[in-house]
Amino acid sequence: MRPELKEYNLDWLFASTFSVAKNLGKSSPDELEYVYKYIPYVRPLLKPVLETGKPALTFLDLFGDYYTDIVNAKENGKKVVMTTFCFDPCIFYAVENLLPVTLEIGTALTSLAWKRGSTDFMDYCTEIGFSETGCSSQRGAMGAYLAGLGAQIDLVALNMGGVCDTNANAYNFAAQYLDVPYYGLDYPSELTSDEAREYHHKDYRNLVRFIEEHTNCQFDIDRLRDVLEEKRKQDDLMNEIEDMQRLVPNPVPGIYHIMIYAARYTYSGKKKFTKMLEEMVEIVRENVKKGLSGLRNGVEKNRSFLVYIDNYSYGVALYEWFEKKGISHLGNILSRTFAETAPYTTGIPGTAYRIDTTNFDTMIDTLADINARMPMTRTIRGSYDAPNMWLDDTLSLAKIYGADSCIYLGTPGCRNTWSNIKLLARDLESFGYPTFIAYGDSFDSRVETWETSEMRFEEFYKIRGLL
Amino acid sequence: MSIAAGVDVGSLSTKAVIIKSNKIIGFAIIKSGPKPVESANKVMEQLLNQTGIVQNDIKRAVGTGYGREKITFIDNAISEISCHAKGAQFFVSSARTIIDIGGQDCKVIKLDQDGNIIKFITNDKCASGTGRFLDVMAQVMNIDVSELGKLSQKSTKPISFASICTVWAQADVIKHINSRRPAEDICAGINAAMANRVSMMTNAIKVEKDICMTGGVAKNQGVVKALSSILGCKIKRIKKADPQLIGAIGAALFAQEKI
Amino acid sequence: MNNVFLEAATNLENASIKKWKEKGGKIVGYTCSFLPVEIFYAADILPIRLRGIDAHSMEISDSYYGPFVCSFPKAVIQLAGSGKYDFLDGVVISNGCDTLRRMNDCWRKMGEDIKGTLPSWFYYLDVPHKPDGHAFDWYVNQLKKLIKAIEQQFDVHISDDKLKKAINTQNAVRRIIWELEKLRRETPLKITGSEAYSAIIAGTLMPVDEYKKHLIEFVSEIRSRITDFAIDKKKVFLGGSICDDFELVSLIEASDAVVVGENVCFGIRNEKDRVDENENPIKALSMKYLSASVCPRMMGWYKDRAAMIIDRVRKIKADGVILQNIRFCDLHGTENGLLERDFDKNNIPSLRIEREYGPLTETGRLKMRVDAFIEQLKSAGINPQ
Repeated sequence: MRPELKEYNLDWLFASTFSVAKNLGKSSPDELEYVYKYIPYVRPLLKPVLETGKPALTFLDLFGDYYTDIVNAKENGKKVVMTTFCFDPCIFYAVENLLPVTLEIGTALTSLAWKRGSTDFMDYCTEIGFSETGCSSQRGAMGAYLAGLGAQIDLVALNMGGVCDTNANAYNFAAQYLDVPYYGLDYPSELTSDEAREYHHKDYRNLVRFIEEHTNCQFDIDRLRDVLEEKRKQDDLMNEIEDMQRLVPNPVPGIYHIMIYAARYTYSGKKKFTKMLEEMVEIVRENVKKGLSGLRNGVEKNRSFLVYIDNYSYGVALYEWFEKKGISHLGNILSRTFAETAPYTTGIPGTAYRIDTTNFDTMIDTLADINARMPMTRTIRGSYDAPNMWLDDTLSLAKIYGADSCIYLGTPGCRNTWSNIKLLARDLESFGYPTFIAYGDSFDSRVETWETSEMRFEEFYKIRGLL
Repeated sequence: MSIAAGVDVGSLSTKAVIIKSNKIIGFAIIKSGPKPVESANKVMEQLLNQTGIVQNDIKRAVGTGYGREKITFIDNAISEISCHAKGAQFFVSSARTIIDIGGQDCKVIKLDQDGNIIKFITNDKCASGTGRFLDVMAQVMNIDVSELGKLSQKSTKPISFASICTVWAQADVIKHINSRRPAEDICAGINAAMANRVSMMTNAIKVEKDICMTGGVAKNQGVVKALSSILGCKIKRIKKADPQLIGAIGAALFAQEKI
Repeated sequence: MNNVFLEAATNLENASIKKWKEKGGKIVGYTCSFLPVEIFYAADILPIRLRGIDAHSMEISDSYYGPFVCSFPKAVIQLAGSGKYDFLDGVVISNGCDTLRRMNDCWRKMGEDIKGTLPSWFYYLDVPHKPDGHAFDWYVNQLKKLIKAIEQQFDVHISDDKLKKAINTQNAVRRIIWELEKLRRETPLKITGSEAYSAIIAGTLMPVDEYKKHLIEFVSEIRSRITDFAIDKKKVFLGGSICDDFELVSLIEASDAVVVGENVCFGIRNEKDRVDENENPIKALSMKYLSASVCPRMMGWYKDRAAMIIDRVRKIKADGVILQNIRFCDLHGTENGLLERDFDKNNIPSLRIEREYGPLTETGRLKMRVDAFIEQLKSAGINPQ
């Protein structure tokens, strides 16, 4: 690892950057341009985010708080749990002395805002014995934490067993390497059966016991209720945005997606996330009233649905390119919540979750259900063509949102999707959706530089006559 | 007055060395052909012609490198790793870590205080971190690969490469040439990128002093310097022989031991 | 080398399988060691472990599987697509890992394109990633469902008695395999790793009664051997990804070594590795098969596995360990990294190698590393304590 990387802890860098950046709301445009000159690598992320206005400042404030809390965790007598993006963190916020750190968000932010991305940290993981072919989404931030360049990790808890081996394996490795306690929720390959639901509930109760044991803390029922009720508000707001996205033109600015899911995976159940969503809803409602597109230049030429994730390896270049081309971003697998109130969930029992805050048991069951219906834990757990799995979900969502095309972006470490993306793409094409498979790495631009990816996107949209 | 021989069939070059009482009395390097046995025969023939020694004079011979078991005139075959370790220690007896960067692979070997190998790590999955990377970059720069080291010494602001992939890095080099960045800075950047890639292996194995380099890339002072900087200590140079020959020298030393 | 075992280990549709089919017997293929073979024997069906040996190209499986995935399930799909598994009456896919479980998706899709390549019965066994509590109950239930499905498909009845009988037979085989394992540890060594390994793999590829008979003969023959061939050879323990291409073992042994034990998903771990004959059969099968000691897919159990492996290495008095993983196998690839670290701490020399599954096209590269490792062991003369 280059010596300069060891000067500051990664989470400290985020804490300082975001905490300072939120004050940019008070700058004049000239002052802002002046600042941008000094932050050439953060600028590609910061500029488009700041252009969203109020939501941007709340977003920066939220992340400033999030990382500051993590940096000061030990000092404040709190423990830090390392977790994954598909694990709804609100359970952790219901425990007074516990804070979550989500690796993939850290990797994405490092890739988005740092000169060489998180590749040094990724390579560090390989140096200490982790498989080089493992998914890059964990390896970025994980390398920092394992090298001691982040808050001390006290435990590891996640939920990707049975859904994503490379993810669960990465966290397992981290737990072994740091010699800290580990609990992984395990998911069967089916979603909606009573048996599966019972399995989820029992497993989650074990997780609760694990958290209690390792934080010496009993769950505060009122606190848990508050967190879940806050999440309910957040779900409702996200649902409204998702619903408005169905309009033509799509009134939702593309960059909202990454802001929403980045905040959701880190700050679910916390008030500042609700505030950000409220601000976003207000703006989108205005757009709807005026019949405006969420695109900056206002002209929607194509609506693209991303079947998996976005690209974070060079600023928010993907979003910027979409803006340039007039392509409306209809969200990706990470954008969906599957609350039963969402506009795209069906009436089929077991496919969505309901928030029930009646008592501790119902709340724990709710959390178990939520976690079993997070983007990957729901969609890619079973055969791609089984009901409510990847194909079913993609076709439904593409139809609801009026998609003109489907895009797959992922990482070479994703064994799961690379083992069936060709099948999915074939089926999507047969249903009339031009589908593009990108071969780059969403977190590591060494695999395919953005220039090359862009070239390939241009080719796809051109040849398929989509613009 | 027993003579021992060592032959090392590499991916790009085949080397042969003859020693007598611990002294190198002749060596030859040729470009490797597609058949290792033929390359071994050819280099040996050239060396014998050069030195006037005949095959029968050679008491014992050891082969190393690709296809070593098939070489007809050897008594036994030993891996390149053992041979490089042996050869390097002959020149740097205090060596505890040996970094061998050849044409198509890279090895890092760790020794204990008695000179026994305790750990090694190799990479031959991709071109970056091997001589091939430098060959390709030199070609793009339109210079001889031997110039890469010399030119980079003049650099004050080495370029930082976005990618270590040989394929993508070529595009980067072209971009920098077109932007009229000084050649010395580009060369320094190339060498630094190479050293960075190798450092992943050295970090994984936790190197110990004294560190020395073998293989053709050890002749590139730019890479040696960049790697020293990353490792935080000087890399001991092998001065009394061409670093490319170390494998063959090690093989010859093994042969000599059994005479 | 025992010819029967060699023939079974090197031929997909070996002689025993042909004979079974000629008799009108049913054969079901399975992917993973988490499937209790006893269930099939109780139904008088021959269970055989799916393999990918002899897949020399991947153009069929590349149409279904993307790049960046393990070559083992790709090889299986390639063979199935080439009609090499047409003799199967059924397949059980279990979720050993993500790539393996997606063989379900890919094979079915291929079956639509290439008629006749999808077996008439195609079943998915959902194995938890934990061995205890609700996961254990789930697995028991999965086995019950599997039994019902077999009964329905093949019009058989799998009674507890039949299960017990099958368990009994398999345990007898396990006892003999344990005898074989003990023989591998003796000095002077009497049996090469490739011989032992082909014998162990063959057990998953032929009817158990026939296998037991040959195994007894084999063990008896080994006992009577008088050899001293292994005096200078270094003793190597092999661990890692699925490894039924026993040419890898042969390659290691060609470097003046002998493979004296393995921790791969074949064979048995230790003397106690058998099914409890006093317990309810399905529960007993679950207790043996849903084990955390075999595979890194059982996450959170690394420490136990590592301790077990280190213990085995020491008991066998291996000079060193070779940890192999198939490229893109993140589970073994990573666990091998942790094991290497722990072996270092315990002064056990180890070598990590990455490879592709199937015909060993990269023998030169592998051989160089193995040679160097064996040379390292010889010069150090280390014996782990």
